[in-house]
Amino acid sequence: MTLSGPRWPRLSPLGDSALLVTFGDRIDSSTRDRVLALADRLGHRRDLGIVELVPATVSLAIRYDPRTTDYGSLRDVVQTSIGGPVPTPPAGRLITIPVRYDGPDLAEVAAKTGLTQAEVVARHSAREYQVALLGFVPGFGYLTALDPRLVLPRRSAPRPRVPAGSVAIAGEQTGIYPAATPGGWHLLGRTRTVMFDPARDPPGLLAVGDRVRFVAED
Amino acid sequence: MLFIVKALGLVTVQDRGWSIGRAIGLPQSGALDVEAFVTANRAVGNESGAAVLELVGGSLTVRAEVPVVIAAGGGAGARIGTQRIAAFTAYPLPAGAVVTLDTAPTGRVGYLAVAGGIDVPVILGSRSTYLPTAFGGYQGRRLQAGDRLSLGPPATAMTTGSPTEPSETGPIRVVPGPQGHLFGDESLAALESTVWQVSAASDRMGTRLIGSAIAPRVPATLPSEATCLGAIQIPDDGQPIVLLADGPTVGGYPKIGAVITADLGRFAQLGPGASVRFSWVSLAQAVPAAARWMNRVGVPSRAPSR
Repeated sequence: MTLSGPRWPRLSPLGDSALLVTFGDRIDSSTRDRVLALADRLGHRRDLGIVELVPATVSLAIRYDPRTTDYGSLRDVVQTSIGGPVPTPPAGRLITIPVRYDGPDLAEVAAKTGLTQAEVVARHSAREYQVALLGFVPGFGYLTALDPRLVLPRRSAPRPRVPAGSVAIAGEQTGIYPAATPGGWHLLGRTRTVMFDPARDPPGLLAVGDRVRFVAED
Repeated sequence: MLFIVKALGLVTVQDRGWSIGRAIGLPQSGALDVEAFVTANRAVGNESGAAVLELVGGSLTVRAEVPVVIAAGGGAGARIGTQRIAAFTAYPLPAGAVVTLDTAPTGRVGYLAVAGGIDVPVILGSRSTYLPTAFGGYQGRRLQAGDRLSLGPPATAMTTGSPTEPSETGPIRVVPGPQGHLFGDESLAALESTVWQVSAASDRMGTRLIGSAIAPRVPATLPSEATCLGAIQIPDDGQPIVLLADGPTVGGYPKIGAVITADLGRFAQLGPGASVRFSWVSLAQAVPAAARWMNRVGVPSRAPSR
Protein backbone atom coordinates (compact mmCIF):
# COMPACT_ATOMS: atom_id res chain seq x y z
CA MET A 1 0.00 0.00 0.00
CA THR A 2 2.29 2.75 1.19
CA LEU A 3 6.05 2.55 1.21
CA SER A 4 6.17 2.59 4.98
CA GLY A 5 3.46 -0.07 5.09
CA PRO A 6 1.12 -0.76 7.94
CA ARG A 7 2.53 -1.39 11.35
CA TRP A 8 2.57 -5.03 12.35
CA PRO A 9 0.79 -6.65 13.97
CA ARG A 10 -2.39 -5.18 12.59
CA LEU A 11 -5.70 -5.73 14.37
CA SER A 12 -8.92 -5.31 12.44
CA PRO A 13 -12.53 -6.43 12.49
CA LEU A 14 -13.49 -9.39 10.31
CA GLY A 15 -17.25 -8.88 10.07
CA ASP A 16 -19.13 -8.24 13.33
CA SER A 17 -18.14 -11.48 15.07
CA ALA A 18 -14.41 -11.86 14.55
CA LEU A 19 -11.12 -10.05 15.05
CA LEU A 20 -8.25 -10.59 12.66
CA VAL A 21 -4.65 -10.28 13.84
CA THR A 22 -2.18 -10.00 10.95
CA PHE A 23 1.49 -10.34 11.83
CA GLY A 24 3.00 -9.36 8.48
CA ASP A 25 2.64 -9.71 4.73
CA ARG A 26 5.48 -12.17 4.14
CA ILE A 27 5.14 -15.88 4.66
CA ASP A 28 8.08 -16.99 6.78
CA SER A 29 8.65 -19.18 9.79
CA SER A 30 9.03 -16.37 12.33
CA THR A 31 5.66 -14.90 11.32
CA ARG A 32 4.11 -18.36 11.51
CA ASP A 33 5.58 -18.82 14.97
CA ARG A 34 3.85 -15.65 16.11
CA VAL A 35 0.51 -16.89 14.76
CA LEU A 36 0.86 -20.25 16.47
CA ALA A 37 2.10 -18.73 19.71
CA LEU A 38 -0.90 -16.40 19.97
CA ALA A 39 -3.27 -19.24 19.09
CA ASP A 40 -1.67 -21.38 21.77
CA ARG A 41 -1.97 -18.60 24.36
CA LEU A 42 -5.60 -17.75 23.57
CA GLY A 43 -6.56 -21.40 23.16
CA HIS A 44 -6.15 -21.87 26.89
CA ARG A 45 -8.46 -18.98 27.77
CA ARG A 46 -12.04 -20.07 28.32
CA ASP A 47 -13.24 -16.78 29.76
CA LEU A 48 -13.11 -14.45 26.78
CA GLY A 49 -16.18 -15.35 24.74
CA ILE A 50 -14.00 -16.81 22.00
CA VAL A 51 -15.89 -19.22 19.75
CA GLU A 52 -13.05 -20.47 17.56
CA LEU A 53 -9.50 -19.60 16.48
CA VAL A 54 -8.71 -19.81 12.76
CA PRO A 55 -4.94 -19.68 12.15
CA ALA A 56 -3.48 -18.98 8.71
CA THR A 57 0.01 -18.35 7.36
CA VAL A 58 0.44 -14.78 8.64
CA SER A 59 -2.77 -14.16 10.57
CA LEU A 60 -5.06 -15.45 13.28
CA ALA A 61 -8.82 -14.90 13.19
CA ILE A 62 -10.51 -14.87 16.57
CA ARG A 63 -14.23 -15.62 16.26
CA TYR A 64 -16.25 -14.29 19.19
CA ASP A 65 -19.83 -14.42 20.41
CA PRO A 66 -21.21 -10.86 20.19
CA ARG A 67 -23.57 -11.71 23.08
CA THR A 68 -20.69 -12.21 25.51
CA THR A 69 -17.95 -9.88 24.33
CA ASP A 70 -17.18 -7.28 21.71
CA TYR A 71 -14.37 -6.21 19.44
CA GLY A 72 -12.89 -3.62 21.79
CA SER A 73 -12.61 -5.97 24.77
CA LEU A 74 -10.92 -8.68 22.72
CA ARG A 75 -8.61 -6.17 21.08
CA ASP A 76 -7.36 -5.12 24.50
CA VAL A 77 -6.71 -8.75 25.48
CA VAL A 78 -4.88 -9.45 22.24
CA GLN A 79 -2.76 -6.33 22.51
CA THR A 80 -1.51 -7.35 25.93
CA SER A 81 -0.92 -10.93 24.72
CA ILE A 82 1.26 -10.10 21.73
CA GLY A 83 3.83 -7.91 23.43
CA GLY A 84 7.23 -9.18 24.47
CA PRO A 85 9.37 -11.93 23.04
CA VAL A 86 7.72 -14.59 20.89
CA PRO A 87 7.59 -17.87 22.75
CA THR A 88 8.44 -20.94 20.73
CA PRO A 89 5.16 -22.50 19.64
CA PRO A 90 4.57 -26.11 20.58
CA ALA A 91 6.13 -28.54 18.09
CA GLY A 92 3.52 -29.97 15.74
CA ARG A 93 2.93 -33.68 15.34
CA LEU A 94 4.83 -35.49 12.57
CA ILE A 95 2.47 -37.16 10.09
CA THR A 96 3.77 -39.52 7.41
CA ILE A 97 1.80 -39.85 4.18
CA PRO A 98 2.60 -42.73 1.81
CA VAL A 99 2.30 -41.63 -1.81
CA ARG A 100 2.17 -43.52 -5.05
CA TYR A 101 3.87 -41.05 -7.40
CA ASP A 102 2.05 -41.81 -10.63
CA GLY A 103 0.08 -38.58 -11.04
CA PRO A 104 -1.08 -37.33 -14.43
CA ASP A 105 1.07 -34.17 -14.19
CA LEU A 106 4.33 -35.79 -13.11
CA ALA A 107 5.78 -35.80 -16.63
CA GLU A 108 4.73 -32.20 -17.28
CA VAL A 109 6.20 -31.02 -13.98
CA ALA A 110 9.45 -32.79 -14.82
CA ALA A 111 9.53 -31.14 -18.26
CA LYS A 112 8.76 -27.66 -16.91
CA THR A 113 11.29 -27.86 -14.10
CA GLY A 114 14.03 -29.52 -16.18
CA LEU A 115 14.21 -32.43 -13.76
CA THR A 116 13.66 -36.12 -14.31
CA GLN A 117 10.47 -37.63 -12.90
CA ALA A 118 12.57 -39.48 -10.32
CA GLU A 119 14.17 -36.20 -9.28
CA VAL A 120 10.77 -34.54 -8.90
CA VAL A 121 9.67 -37.39 -6.64
CA ALA A 122 12.92 -37.30 -4.69
CA ARG A 123 12.70 -33.56 -4.10
CA HIS A 124 9.01 -33.65 -3.17
CA SER A 125 9.51 -36.46 -0.67
CA ALA A 126 12.79 -35.16 0.76
CA ARG A 127 11.34 -32.30 2.75
CA GLU A 128 9.48 -31.99 5.96
CA TYR A 129 6.56 -29.64 5.40
CA GLN A 130 4.48 -27.66 7.85
CA VAL A 131 0.69 -27.28 7.74
CA ALA A 132 0.34 -23.52 7.32
CA LEU A 133 -3.38 -23.31 6.73
CA LEU A 134 -6.50 -25.45 6.41
CA GLY A 135 -9.23 -24.50 4.00
CA PHE A 136 -10.50 -24.58 0.42
CA VAL A 137 -12.53 -27.61 1.50
CA PRO A 138 -12.61 -29.31 4.91
CA GLY A 139 -9.31 -31.01 5.66
CA PHE A 140 -7.30 -29.48 2.80
CA GLY A 141 -3.93 -28.48 4.25
CA TYR A 142 -1.65 -25.93 2.58
CA LEU A 143 1.83 -27.33 3.28
CA THR A 144 4.98 -25.22 3.08
CA ALA A 145 7.59 -24.87 1.90
CA LEU A 146 8.13 -26.62 -1.40
CA ASP A 147 11.61 -27.18 -2.86
CA PRO A 148 12.28 -24.01 -4.92
CA ARG A 149 13.05 -26.15 -7.98
CA LEU A 150 9.45 -27.46 -7.94
CA VAL A 151 7.74 -24.06 -7.77
CA LEU A 152 5.33 -23.64 -10.71
CA PRO A 153 2.25 -21.49 -11.22
CA ARG A 154 -1.10 -23.22 -11.08
CA ARG A 155 -2.36 -24.97 -14.17
CA SER A 156 -3.88 -22.47 -16.59
CA ALA A 157 -7.10 -24.48 -16.78
CA PRO A 158 -8.25 -26.04 -13.50
CA ARG A 159 -9.57 -29.60 -13.71
CA PRO A 160 -13.31 -29.88 -13.05
CA ARG A 161 -12.67 -32.92 -10.88
CA VAL A 162 -9.52 -33.93 -9.04
CA PRO A 163 -9.74 -37.38 -7.40
CA ALA A 164 -9.71 -37.63 -3.60
CA GLY A 165 -6.24 -38.39 -2.24
CA SER A 166 -4.41 -36.57 -5.03
CA VAL A 167 -1.05 -35.18 -3.88
CA ALA A 168 -0.41 -31.91 -5.68
CA ILE A 169 1.81 -28.84 -5.90
CA ALA A 170 1.26 -25.18 -6.83
CA GLY A 171 3.38 -22.15 -6.09
CA GLU A 172 5.44 -22.75 -2.96
CA GLN A 173 2.90 -25.17 -1.56
CA THR A 174 1.93 -28.79 -1.67
CA GLY A 175 -1.25 -30.45 -0.46
CA ILE A 176 -3.56 -33.43 -0.56
CA TYR A 177 -7.10 -33.19 -1.94
CA PRO A 178 -9.31 -34.70 0.79
CA ALA A 179 -12.30 -35.14 -1.52
CA ALA A 180 -13.08 -35.03 -5.22
CA THR A 181 -13.32 -31.34 -6.12
CA PRO A 182 -12.32 -29.00 -8.92
CA GLY A 183 -8.65 -28.10 -8.69
CA GLY A 184 -5.85 -26.27 -10.47
CA TRP A 185 -2.79 -27.78 -8.81
CA HIS A 186 -0.32 -30.15 -10.50
CA LEU A 187 -1.04 -33.76 -9.55
CA LEU A 188 2.09 -35.74 -8.66
CA GLY A 189 0.50 -38.82 -7.14
CA ARG A 190 -2.10 -40.29 -4.85
CA THR A 191 -2.36 -41.45 -1.27
CA ARG A 192 -4.79 -43.87 0.33
CA THR A 193 -4.61 -41.93 3.59
CA VAL A 194 -8.06 -40.53 4.40
CA MET A 195 -7.51 -36.82 5.02
CA PHE A 196 -11.03 -35.95 6.16
CA ASP A 197 -13.72 -38.27 7.46
CA PRO A 198 -16.79 -36.62 8.99
CA ALA A 199 -17.38 -39.78 11.03
CA ARG A 200 -13.95 -39.54 12.68
CA ASP A 201 -13.09 -37.46 15.75
CA PRO A 202 -11.39 -35.21 14.92
CA PRO A 203 -12.58 -35.48 11.33
CA GLY A 204 -9.48 -33.96 9.75
CA LEU A 205 -6.08 -35.65 9.85
CA LEU A 206 -4.12 -32.38 9.78
CA ALA A 207 -3.99 -29.41 12.16
CA VAL A 208 -2.20 -26.13 11.56
CA GLY A 209 1.37 -26.46 12.84
CA ASP A 210 1.64 -30.21 12.15
CA ARG A 211 4.68 -31.46 10.23
CA VAL A 212 4.18 -33.69 7.20
CA ARG A 213 6.48 -36.06 5.33
CA PHE A 214 5.65 -37.86 2.09
CA VAL A 215 7.08 -41.33 1.58
CA ALA A 216 7.21 -42.81 -1.93
CA GLU A 217 5.65 -46.23 -2.21
CA ASP A 218 5.61 -48.58 -5.17
CA MET B 1 -42.11 -40.33 4.98
CA LEU B 2 -41.99 -37.51 2.45
CA PHE B 3 -41.76 -38.22 -1.25
CA ILE B 4 -40.05 -35.73 -3.57
CA VAL B 5 -42.32 -35.43 -6.60
CA LYS B 6 -40.40 -32.65 -8.32
CA ALA B 7 -37.28 -30.65 -7.45
CA LEU B 8 -36.52 -27.86 -9.91
CA GLY B 9 -33.91 -25.66 -8.35
CA LEU B 10 -31.46 -26.43 -5.58
CA VAL B 11 -33.20 -28.45 -2.86
CA THR B 12 -31.18 -29.62 0.14
CA VAL B 13 -31.67 -30.67 3.75
CA GLN B 14 -30.40 -27.89 6.04
CA ASP B 15 -30.38 -26.95 9.70
CA ARG B 16 -28.22 -24.43 11.59
CA GLY B 17 -25.07 -25.96 10.14
CA TRP B 18 -21.67 -26.15 11.83
CA SER B 19 -21.06 -23.30 14.26
CA ILE B 20 -17.49 -24.56 14.81
CA GLY B 21 -15.21 -25.89 12.11
CA ARG B 22 -13.72 -22.97 10.21
CA ALA B 23 -10.33 -23.86 11.75
CA ILE B 24 -10.40 -27.12 9.77
CA GLY B 25 -11.88 -25.57 6.64
CA LEU B 26 -15.49 -26.48 7.37
CA PRO B 27 -17.82 -23.57 6.64
CA GLN B 28 -21.00 -23.02 8.62
CA SER B 29 -23.21 -24.24 5.77
CA GLY B 30 -26.82 -24.60 6.98
CA ALA B 31 -29.84 -22.45 6.16
CA LEU B 32 -29.10 -19.36 4.05
CA ASP B 33 -31.92 -17.36 5.67
CA VAL B 34 -31.73 -18.41 9.31
CA GLU B 35 -34.65 -16.26 10.42
CA ALA B 36 -37.03 -17.81 7.86
CA PHE B 37 -35.76 -21.31 8.69
CA VAL B 38 -36.30 -20.80 12.43
CA THR B 39 -39.73 -19.25 11.92
CA ALA B 40 -40.90 -22.17 9.76
CA ASN B 41 -39.74 -24.64 12.44
CA ARG B 42 -41.43 -22.76 15.24
CA ALA B 43 -44.67 -22.71 13.24
CA VAL B 44 -44.88 -26.52 13.27
CA GLY B 45 -43.80 -26.81 16.91
CA ASN B 46 -40.28 -28.01 16.16
CA GLU B 47 -37.17 -27.20 18.09
CA SER B 48 -35.98 -24.10 16.21
CA GLY B 49 -32.91 -25.83 14.75
CA ALA B 50 -34.68 -28.90 13.30
CA ALA B 51 -33.73 -29.94 9.78
CA VAL B 52 -35.91 -28.62 6.94
CA LEU B 53 -35.96 -28.61 3.17
CA GLU B 54 -34.37 -25.53 1.62
CA LEU B 55 -35.25 -24.52 -1.93
CA VAL B 56 -33.00 -22.05 -3.78
CA GLY B 57 -34.39 -20.60 -6.99
CA GLY B 58 -37.04 -22.88 -8.46
CA SER B 59 -39.90 -25.03 -7.31
CA LEU B 60 -40.34 -28.06 -5.12
CA THR B 61 -43.27 -30.47 -4.94
CA VAL B 62 -43.49 -32.94 -2.06
CA ARG B 63 -46.09 -35.61 -1.29
CA ALA B 64 -46.90 -36.73 2.24
CA GLU B 65 -46.96 -40.52 2.52
CA VAL B 66 -48.32 -40.31 6.06
CA PRO B 67 -50.31 -37.48 7.68
CA VAL B 68 -47.89 -34.65 8.59
CA VAL B 69 -47.98 -31.01 9.66
CA ILE B 70 -46.08 -28.54 7.51
CA ALA B 71 -45.27 -24.85 7.31
CA ALA B 72 -43.62 -23.02 4.44
CA GLY B 73 -42.13 -19.56 4.12
CA GLY B 74 -39.18 -17.36 3.26
CA GLY B 75 -38.73 -16.32 -0.34
CA ALA B 76 -41.20 -18.86 -1.72
CA GLY B 77 -44.95 -18.99 -2.06
CA ALA B 78 -46.64 -22.30 -1.23
CA ARG B 79 -49.81 -24.17 -2.00
CA ILE B 80 -51.43 -27.42 -0.93
CA GLY B 81 -52.83 -28.90 -4.10
CA THR B 82 -53.99 -25.75 -5.84
CA GLN B 83 -54.88 -23.85 -2.64
CA ARG B 84 -52.43 -21.11 -1.68
CA ILE B 85 -51.41 -21.21 1.98
CA ALA B 86 -50.21 -18.51 4.35
CA ALA B 87 -46.51 -18.18 5.13
CA PHE B 88 -45.14 -19.60 8.39
CA THR B 89 -48.47 -21.16 9.33
CA ALA B 90 -48.98 -24.81 10.28
CA TYR B 91 -51.22 -26.87 8.02
CA PRO B 92 -52.08 -30.54 8.38
CA LEU B 93 -51.28 -32.49 5.26
CA PRO B 94 -53.25 -35.75 4.92
CA ALA B 95 -51.53 -38.79 3.44
CA GLY B 96 -51.33 -38.44 -0.31
CA ALA B 97 -51.63 -34.63 -0.28
CA VAL B 98 -49.11 -32.57 -2.21
CA VAL B 99 -47.43 -29.29 -1.21
CA THR B 100 -45.61 -27.08 -3.72
CA LEU B 101 -43.14 -24.26 -3.05
CA ASP B 102 -42.25 -21.80 -5.77
CA THR B 103 -39.69 -19.01 -5.54
CA ALA B 104 -40.86 -17.24 -8.71
CA PRO B 105 -41.04 -14.41 -9.49
CA THR B 106 -39.47 -12.35 -6.71
CA GLY B 107 -38.18 -14.80 -4.11
CA ARG B 108 -34.99 -16.77 -3.81
CA VAL B 109 -34.81 -19.07 -0.78
CA GLY B 110 -37.84 -20.94 0.57
CA TYR B 111 -38.24 -23.36 3.47
CA LEU B 112 -40.52 -26.32 4.07
CA ALA B 113 -40.59 -27.38 7.71
CA VAL B 114 -42.29 -30.61 8.77
CA ALA B 115 -43.31 -31.42 12.34
CA GLY B 116 -40.64 -33.76 13.70
CA GLY B 117 -37.98 -32.45 11.33
CA ILE B 118 -36.25 -34.20 8.44
CA ASP B 119 -34.43 -37.22 9.84
CA VAL B 120 -31.06 -37.67 8.19
CA PRO B 121 -27.85 -38.73 9.96
CA VAL B 122 -26.19 -36.15 12.20
CA ILE B 123 -22.64 -35.45 11.00
CA LEU B 124 -20.38 -33.47 13.35
CA GLY B 125 -23.48 -32.19 15.13
CA SER B 126 -25.49 -31.08 12.09
CA ARG B 127 -27.89 -32.52 9.53
CA SER B 128 -26.94 -29.90 6.95
CA THR B 129 -25.84 -30.78 3.42
CA TYR B 130 -22.38 -29.60 2.39
CA LEU B 131 -22.37 -29.93 -1.38
CA PRO B 132 -18.74 -29.06 -2.30
CA THR B 133 -17.46 -32.32 -0.80
CA ALA B 134 -20.80 -34.12 -0.77
CA PHE B 135 -21.40 -34.94 2.85
CA GLY B 136 -24.19 -34.51 5.38
CA GLY B 137 -27.86 -34.10 4.57
CA TYR B 138 -29.46 -36.70 2.34
CA GLN B 139 -26.58 -38.78 0.95
CA GLY B 140 -24.49 -35.61 0.69
CA ARG B 141 -26.40 -34.37 -2.32
CA ARG B 142 -29.22 -32.20 -3.57
CA LEU B 143 -32.64 -33.81 -3.60
CA GLN B 144 -34.25 -35.06 -6.77
CA ALA B 145 -37.58 -36.52 -7.82
CA GLY B 146 -38.10 -39.96 -6.37
CA ASP B 147 -36.19 -39.39 -3.10
CA ARG B 148 -37.92 -40.48 0.13
CA LEU B 149 -37.17 -38.72 3.40
CA SER B 150 -37.77 -39.99 6.94
CA LEU B 151 -39.19 -37.72 9.62
CA GLY B 152 -38.42 -37.44 13.31
CA PRO B 153 -41.08 -37.78 16.00
CA PRO B 154 -43.23 -34.62 16.19
CA ALA B 155 -43.32 -32.66 19.43
CA THR B 156 -46.29 -33.64 21.56
CA ALA B 157 -47.39 -30.13 22.48
CA MET B 158 -48.09 -28.02 19.41
CA THR B 159 -47.13 -24.40 19.68
CA THR B 160 -48.57 -21.78 17.45
CA GLY B 161 -46.19 -20.19 15.05
CA SER B 162 -44.72 -16.90 16.06
CA PRO B 163 -45.39 -14.20 13.50
CA THR B 164 -42.29 -12.97 11.77
CA GLU B 165 -40.63 -9.81 12.95
CA PRO B 166 -41.35 -6.86 10.71
CA SER B 167 -38.48 -7.29 8.31
CA GLU B 168 -35.80 -4.67 7.84
CA THR B 169 -35.94 -2.77 4.62
CA GLY B 170 -33.49 -0.42 3.01
CA PRO B 171 -29.86 -0.96 2.09
CA ILE B 172 -27.95 -4.02 3.31
CA ARG B 173 -25.74 -2.90 6.20
CA VAL B 174 -22.00 -3.53 5.96
CA VAL B 175 -19.06 -3.05 8.32
CA PRO B 176 -15.55 -2.12 7.16
CA GLY B 177 -12.47 -4.29 7.28
CA PRO B 178 -10.21 -6.09 7.33
CA GLN B 179 -8.62 -4.69 4.13
CA GLY B 180 -10.66 -1.50 3.80
CA HIS B 181 -7.40 0.45 4.13
CA LEU B 182 -6.20 -0.99 0.79
CA PHE B 183 -9.03 0.79 -1.01
CA GLY B 184 -9.28 4.49 -1.71
CA ASP B 185 -12.12 6.68 -0.51
CA GLU B 186 -13.70 6.51 -3.97
CA SER B 187 -13.94 2.73 -3.78
CA LEU B 188 -15.40 2.82 -0.28
CA ALA B 189 -17.94 5.40 -1.47
CA ALA B 190 -18.69 3.44 -4.64
CA LEU B 191 -19.61 0.35 -2.65
CA GLU B 192 -22.33 2.44 -1.02
CA SER B 193 -23.47 4.54 -3.99
CA THR B 194 -23.63 1.75 -6.60
CA VAL B 195 -26.88 -0.04 -7.28
CA TRP B 196 -25.49 -3.57 -7.56
CA GLN B 197 -27.09 -6.32 -9.57
CA VAL B 198 -26.99 -9.96 -8.47
CA SER B 199 -25.26 -12.16 -11.06
CA ALA B 200 -26.70 -15.44 -12.28
CA ALA B 201 -23.44 -17.09 -11.18
CA SER B 202 -24.52 -16.90 -7.53
CA ASP B 203 -25.01 -20.01 -5.41
CA ARG B 204 -24.91 -21.23 -1.79
CA MET B 205 -21.19 -20.39 -1.66
CA GLY B 206 -21.54 -16.78 -2.61
CA THR B 207 -23.46 -14.00 -4.27
CA ARG B 208 -21.66 -12.32 -7.15
CA LEU B 209 -22.45 -8.69 -7.85
CA ILE B 210 -22.24 -6.66 -11.03
CA GLY B 211 -21.79 -2.87 -11.03
CA SER B 212 -19.05 -0.28 -10.97
CA ALA B 213 -15.63 -1.89 -10.65
CA ILE B 214 -13.90 -1.48 -7.31
CA ALA B 215 -10.15 -1.72 -7.14
CA PRO B 216 -7.56 -1.58 -4.39
CA ARG B 217 -5.10 1.32 -4.72
CA VAL B 218 -2.43 -1.15 -5.73
CA PRO B 219 -3.07 -4.72 -6.84
CA ALA B 220 -3.17 -6.85 -3.74
CA THR B 221 -2.75 -10.56 -3.31
CA LEU B 222 -2.78 -11.48 0.33
CA PRO B 223 -1.43 -14.58 1.97
CA SER B 224 -4.63 -16.58 2.42
CA GLU B 225 -6.43 -15.74 5.64
CA ALA B 226 -9.72 -16.49 7.34
CA THR B 227 -12.93 -15.27 5.75
CA CYS B 228 -16.25 -14.79 7.48
CA LEU B 229 -19.89 -15.18 6.57
CA GLY B 230 -20.89 -12.10 4.59
CA ALA B 231 -17.31 -11.13 3.70
CA ILE B 232 -17.21 -8.88 0.62
CA GLN B 233 -14.25 -10.07 -1.42
CA ILE B 234 -12.94 -7.94 -4.27
CA PRO B 235 -11.30 -10.16 -6.90
CA ASP B 236 -9.13 -8.81 -9.71
CA ASP B 237 -12.08 -7.88 -11.93
CA GLY B 238 -13.42 -5.54 -9.23
CA GLN B 239 -16.84 -7.20 -9.04
CA PRO B 240 -17.63 -8.12 -5.42
CA ILE B 241 -18.32 -11.64 -4.20
CA VAL B 242 -20.23 -11.87 -0.92
CA LEU B 243 -19.57 -15.16 0.87
CA LEU B 244 -22.61 -17.15 2.00
CA ALA B 245 -23.14 -20.30 4.07
CA ASP B 246 -21.06 -22.72 1.92
CA GLY B 247 -18.38 -20.15 1.07
CA PRO B 248 -14.70 -21.01 1.52
CA THR B 249 -13.28 -20.44 5.01
CA VAL B 250 -10.02 -18.93 3.73
CA GLY B 251 -9.09 -16.78 0.78
CA GLY B 252 -6.56 -14.34 -0.59
CA TYR B 253 -8.79 -11.68 -2.11
CA PRO B 254 -8.89 -8.38 -0.22
CA LYS B 255 -12.08 -7.89 1.77
CA ILE B 256 -13.43 -4.37 1.68
CA GLY B 257 -16.01 -5.14 4.34
CA ALA B 258 -18.69 -7.61 5.39
CA VAL B 259 -22.47 -7.79 5.43
CA ILE B 260 -23.55 -7.64 9.07
CA THR B 261 -24.88 -10.84 10.66
CA ALA B 262 -28.35 -9.36 11.17
CA ASP B 263 -28.76 -8.66 7.43
CA LEU B 264 -27.30 -11.89 6.00
CA GLY B 265 -30.64 -13.67 5.58
CA ARG B 266 -32.22 -10.67 3.86
CA PHE B 267 -29.20 -10.44 1.57
CA ALA B 268 -29.28 -14.18 0.74
CA GLN B 269 -32.87 -13.75 -0.46
CA LEU B 270 -31.63 -11.62 -3.39
CA GLY B 271 -31.57 -13.77 -6.50
CA PRO B 272 -30.12 -13.29 -9.98
CA GLY B 273 -31.18 -9.96 -11.48
CA ALA B 274 -32.17 -8.41 -8.14
CA SER B 275 -30.83 -4.96 -7.27
CA VAL B 276 -29.13 -4.23 -3.99
CA ARG B 277 -27.50 -1.32 -2.23
CA PHE B 278 -25.12 -1.28 0.72
CA SER B 279 -24.79 1.15 3.57
CA TRP B 280 -21.77 1.42 5.87
CA VAL B 281 -22.46 1.09 9.60
CA SER B 282 -20.04 1.12 12.50
CA LEU B 283 -18.96 -1.92 14.46
CA ALA B 284 -20.56 -0.27 17.49
CA GLN B 285 -23.92 -0.60 15.71
CA ALA B 286 -23.30 -4.00 14.11
CA VAL B 287 -22.13 -5.99 17.15
CA PRO B 288 -25.20 -5.28 19.35
CA ALA B 289 -27.43 -5.86 16.30
CA ALA B 290 -25.75 -9.26 15.84
CA ALA B 291 -26.31 -10.07 19.53
CA ARG B 292 -30.02 -9.15 19.35
CA TRP B 293 -30.44 -11.12 16.13
CA MET B 294 -28.73 -14.21 17.60
CA ASN B 295 -31.04 -14.08 20.62
CA ARG B 296 -34.10 -13.66 18.43
CA VAL B 297 -33.32 -16.64 16.22
CA GLY B 298 -32.09 -18.72 19.15
CA VAL B 299 -28.47 -19.32 18.15
CA PRO B 300 -27.20 -21.63 20.93
CA SER B 301 -24.50 -20.16 23.16
CA ARG B 302 -21.37 -22.12 23.70
CA ALA B 303 -20.97 -22.19 27.44
CA PRO B 304 -17.32 -21.81 28.33
CA SER B 305 -15.95 -25.10 29.63
CA ARG B 306 -13.51 -24.75 32.48
